[in-house]
Amino acid sequence: MSDEQFRAEIRGWLHEALTGPFAEAVGTGGEGREHEAHELRREWERHLGRAGWIGLGWPTEYGGRPATLAQQVIYHEEYARAGAPGRLGHMSEQLLGPTLLAFGTPEQKARFLPGITSGEDIWCQGYSEPDAGSDLAGVRTRAERRGDSYVVTGQKVWTSLAHLADWCFVLCRTDPGSTRHAGLSYLLVPMHQPGVTVRPITQLTGTSEFNEVFFDGAVAAVEHRVGAEGEGWKVAMGTLGFERGVSTLGQQIGFRRRLDAVIARARENGAWQEPALRDRLVEAYIGLEVMRHSAVRLLASAGEGLSGLEASISKLQWATWNRSLGELAVDVEGAGALLTGPGYELDDAQTHFLFSRANTIYGGSNEIQRNIIAERLLGLPR
Amino acid sequence: MTEASADPRPVAEALRPEAAEEVAQVRASVVEVLDEQADLRRTHELMVGAQGHDPRLHELLTAELGLLGLVVPEHLGGLGLDVSAATAVIEELGARLVPGALATSLTAILAARALGPSAEPLLARVVDEQLTLASALAEDGAGWDLEQTVTRATGAGDEWALTGTKTLVAGVEAARVVLVTARDTCGGLGVYAVDVAAGGVDVRTHMTLDQTRRLSTVHLRQAAATRVDAPGGEGARVLLDHVRAMLALESAAAARACLDRTVGYLKVREQFGRPIGSFQALKHRCADLAVAVAGARATADHLVATLRTGAATRSHDAALAKLVCTDTLMTVAAEAIQLHGGIGFTFEHDAHLFFKRGKSAQLLAGSPAAVRAEVAALAGL
Ligand SMILES: Cc1cc2nc3c(=O)[nH]c(=O)nc-3n(C[C@H](O)[C@H](O)[C@H](O)COP(=O)(O)OP(=O)(O)OC[C@H]3O[C@@H](n4cnc5c(N)ncnc54)[C@H](O)[C@@H]3O)c2cc1C
Repeated sequence: MSDEQFRAEIRGWLHEALTGPFAEAVGTGGEGREHEAHELRREWERHLGRAGWIGLGWPTEYGGRPATLAQQVIYHEEYARAGAPGRLGHMSEQLLGPTLLAFGTPEQKARFLPGITSGEDIWCQGYSEPDAGSDLAGVRTRAERRGDSYVVTGQKVWTSLAHLADWCFVLCRTDPGSTRHAGLSYLLVPMHQPGVTVRPITQLTGTSEFNEVFFDGAVAAVEHRVGAEGEGWKVAMGTLGFERGVSTLGQQIGFRRRLDAVIARARENGAWQEPALRDRLVEAYIGLEVMRHSAVRLLASAGEGLSGLEASISKLQWATWNRSLGELAVDVEGAGALLTGPGYELDDAQTHFLFSRANTIYGGSNEIQRNIIAERLLGLPR
Repeated sequence: MTEASADPRPVAEALRPEAAEEVAQVRASVVEVLDEQADLRRTHELMVGAQGHDPRLHELLTAELGLLGLVVPEHLGGLGLDVSAATAVIEELGARLVPGALATSLTAILAARALGPSAEPLLARVVDEQLTLASALAEDGAGWDLEQTVTRATGAGDEWALTGTKTLVAGVEAARVVLVTARDTCGGLGVYAVDVAAGGVDVRTHMTLDQTRRLSTVHLRQAAATRVDAPGGEGARVLLDHVRAMLALESAAAARACLDRTVGYLKVREQFGRPIGSFQALKHRCADLAVAVAGARATADHLVATLRTGAATRSHDAALAKLVCTDTLMTVAAEAIQLHGGIGFTFEHDAHLFFKRGKSAQLLAGSPAAVRAEVAALAGL
């Protein structure tokens, strides 16, 4: 199938799918809107799964669909263009799926991938802890082996979607005497069991998408450990590479929609006449063009996968860009942006402004990306 | 709402296979010569010399490597290679800050090639007579604003005479023919070829802030000329876009080279008992520069693809790449001086060559502010 045919197919499908009962889901659940329309979006995941739109490029035996890297990007572009709902399954598909494909046993792939491609299982990422964020090797959550199971005890934090998830991929310490990168293991832990408590955390947007997760004697099967015992660090780093991967290349279209909206607003309310604001808008336009061309280059050179380094460059670019556009969105509104709806209900510009502060923190903060680029791309000493 | 948003030009569609292996070969052979004959020590010597460039190197690259005919179509006697063969050479010259008229020649040739059949006689001459070319667009007071061009062209058919003054012309001191933008008696803007040796042409070459790039004033008094573009077309714009492309390609390559040198220094220079490159404050600045260089590189590559396919977005893409790449070179070069400390402030050191080249690239063919306004207008903003 040519790329053009592929684009026509996904575009046509989305057009149809979003007019029926899912019409209401359009525009929901994006960044900073994770609290919206959970039931409907859960149903949407299954709908995507039934139509074969989850797991592009994965083996068909696990419910995947053959697709080139370019087609995967096309998929994300069209998804954003259609304003389709924010994916409850994004960590399942973008993080855990590739991790299992790379590091999982045949049994683990057969057991877990179909649940992802069908849109049935929702996963969350249990890495960060109160004392381990950028420095993940400081993880302290313990898992103690008892026969065929591990018993997990500890606390995770900032766990997005944990309140909705069925499973959590957890980085924890299986060797009690170990420190740093050694002695860690990567476990797949069911969320619906005694010993797992999820407590929502309210974000600066006033809404909540991330949580504290307490494991107190929760159980994970030994056969659900990904990679060897004590080698969880390698697996976890693999996941982080995927986190900054293909889907981000398709973001341009979504970014363009946002930029267009801000520009349209500036024209409408006269902010466009303000030279300093107009200049920042033009600067944002130029920044987006640079990102777009960078993405094309990446794709052209990527073959079938992105290197972690290229992903770091693109992460730093888009996170910084989107954060600035968030500031611009409210500056264009002017003081009017200070008024919210009842119950701190935020409009698009306000949400963008507030939520985009997270872009440069999660998925490896800007500072961490800079360390990676300086050390691994430029070869500067540690 | 805007032209740009009606056509979001998705990433995946812009993905096209890379240019031919021939381009890589051309690049390799040029790199071999330049690495041997055109390091920055040589640039240091040339820029304070009387000529400001190296005629022997020019001869080697043109007569022996045949670079002038690189992208000239085969039926006109050239090699007929892809546009990106010439842009690769421009990049390699730019990376080494090689002074002289080769980049400006290739630029004018690329522009002529884009002008179509009307420029074929000139392209045939380029190969036959090994013509070195320059492009003259700017005028006093008007800069590179084509609308304000006042140089006059009188005549008709093949016989024209130009009168006017062009300023800030690069590479003309070594050129045999200059492409000049001028207005005919009906007000139409066109591109004309003028032989420098012909009567009525007076070239004054100036010392320049960017010592790697001499600039000249060209006075034309009833100078004999031939028209290169088709009347009623947008030939002048084509020429301007290509000059911008040259500045973009050179700058992206120079920025990369400058960053590489700086990073190399940070790895060996020690203070407080460790390499200064291990200080995070410096690492992070280098990482930001690396991201900027990657972005510049991407706009330059995209521009090459645009020139290759003759896409309608040429003016937009050339302006955007010119802006982004020259700003990036300026930033990288300024940081290079700082990160080198005292040695970076010396005349002996290379950092200031990049810094000065960056400023000339920024200010030639439209200042950052002017080009930014143009990008905005072209994007419908
Ligand atoms: C909206 C949101 C969703 C998230 N979702 C998840 C999730 O689903 N699962 C999950 O596991 N985690 C999640 N996170 C957590 C996120 O990955 C961490 O917040 C992030 O890794 C930073 O860790 P930290 O918060 O502990 O900050 P710290 O590591 O304490 O960092 C504080 C500051 O110090 C800087 N810093 C730290 N180390 C260095 C260094 N070596 N050099 C220079 N600067 C440094 C950081 O850049 C930052 O500016 C989420 C975060 C947010 C904001």
